[in-house]
Amino acid sequence: MKKLVSISLMFALMAIALLVNARTIVADIPAPPIIGSTIVDFTLPDTSGAAHTLASLKGKNGTVLIFIAVQCPVSNGYNERMEKLAQDYKARGINVIGINANSTESAADVKAHAASHNLTFPILKDEGNKVADMLGATRTPEAYFLDASNKLLYHGRIDNSRDITQVNSNELRDALEATLAGKPVPKTTASAFGCSIKRPE
Amino acid sequence: MIGSLVVMVSILLLTFSAAAQGKTKPKPRTTRAATSPAPVRAVNTAEMQALLKRDGSRPLLVNYWATWCDPCRDEFPELVKIDKDYRARGLDFIAITLDDLADIKTEVPKFLRLMNAQMPVYLLNVSDPEPVINSVDKDWGGALPATFLYNNHGEVVYKHFGRVKADELRAEIEKVMGPEKVMSNE
Repeated sequence: MKKLVSISLMFALMAIALLVNARTIVADIPAPPIIGSTIVDFTLPDTSGAAHTLASLKGKNGTVLIFIAVQCPVSNGYNERMEKLAQDYKARGINVIGINANSTESAADVKAHAASHNLTFPILKDEGNKVADMLGATRTPEAYFLDASNKLLYHGRIDNSRDITQVNSNELRDALEATLAGKPVPKTTASAFGCSIKRPE
Repeated sequence: MIGSLVVMVSILLLTFSAAAQGKTKPKPRTTRAATSPAPVRAVNTAEMQALLKRDGSRPLLVNYWATWCDPCRDEFPELVKIDKDYRARGLDFIAITLDDLADIKTEVPKFLRLMNAQMPVYLLNVSDPEPVINSVDKDWGGALPATFLYNNHGEVVYKHFGRVKADELRAEIEKVMGPEKVMSNE
């Protein structure tokens, strides 16, 4: 009997050792919502500290949320393209909202950066990554396009290259155009390299 | 009963501790002498995917980085140390940079020299990064840095997005190397 208990214990210990060994993936950022799900309203402050809800900033035909950064060269490579996107679609009822979720960049940094790069669309400061976590955002720039009822239609890159001379696919604009034309979004997700969103340690 | 349990636990602990410390015959290092970094080679999607293939002999650590990425630069000294500590014990390590092709002979080697880096470094030169990102990992959106550890069969056993935690990564490397060696020596 004692022998049996010892053997059982040994197998149990081995199983625990194997399980510990088999633990593989560290997932510390929530997964993004699936395409088609509705994004719930949220409240974040702008760079002057005034609180805004998604409901108060959204466009009548849709909203583009873009996680951006002050120091990331990839995000900065898109400054002009993001501003042009905001200008091009404002009159067509789609609003662009920037979100800075980097713990290493203050509201004052974000405000100064927006002024020096002529970014006129609203930029919110996501202290604590509340919205970044809700949307599973990991990098800058990373875009989310919501329709008029906040349904997620597109998630991913703005286009295929941070070098504007190499751009040959415009997934975000394609999503906006398709939606404005009443058509389904042709490509609902697309990846690109970018800077990690700096979450607090 | 207690005596036999103590013996069993001791045997198990000794086995895993030996595995963790790598007290097994290491494979000889086959790379060049440690002086200056090897030239950085540009690769396309297919060539990069071929680099990740394993033949069953050695596990592989892969780090995706760029000189323009601050957390990538911050974590690089730790990765150089890890390369030095584990390569002789049987770990392959490649670093894949997402720098522009224009920087392959300037900014990239300059940084590698500064870091005293010896691991092979490749520059991914693609017009559309999506096929690579999707083929590497379905959960990866392309945020840099990103670090993946493969076992010797090419299966991802650990991944981390953002600045790596050196202690955590070392523990995972010990795990992927230790038990495999013990089993292969039996």
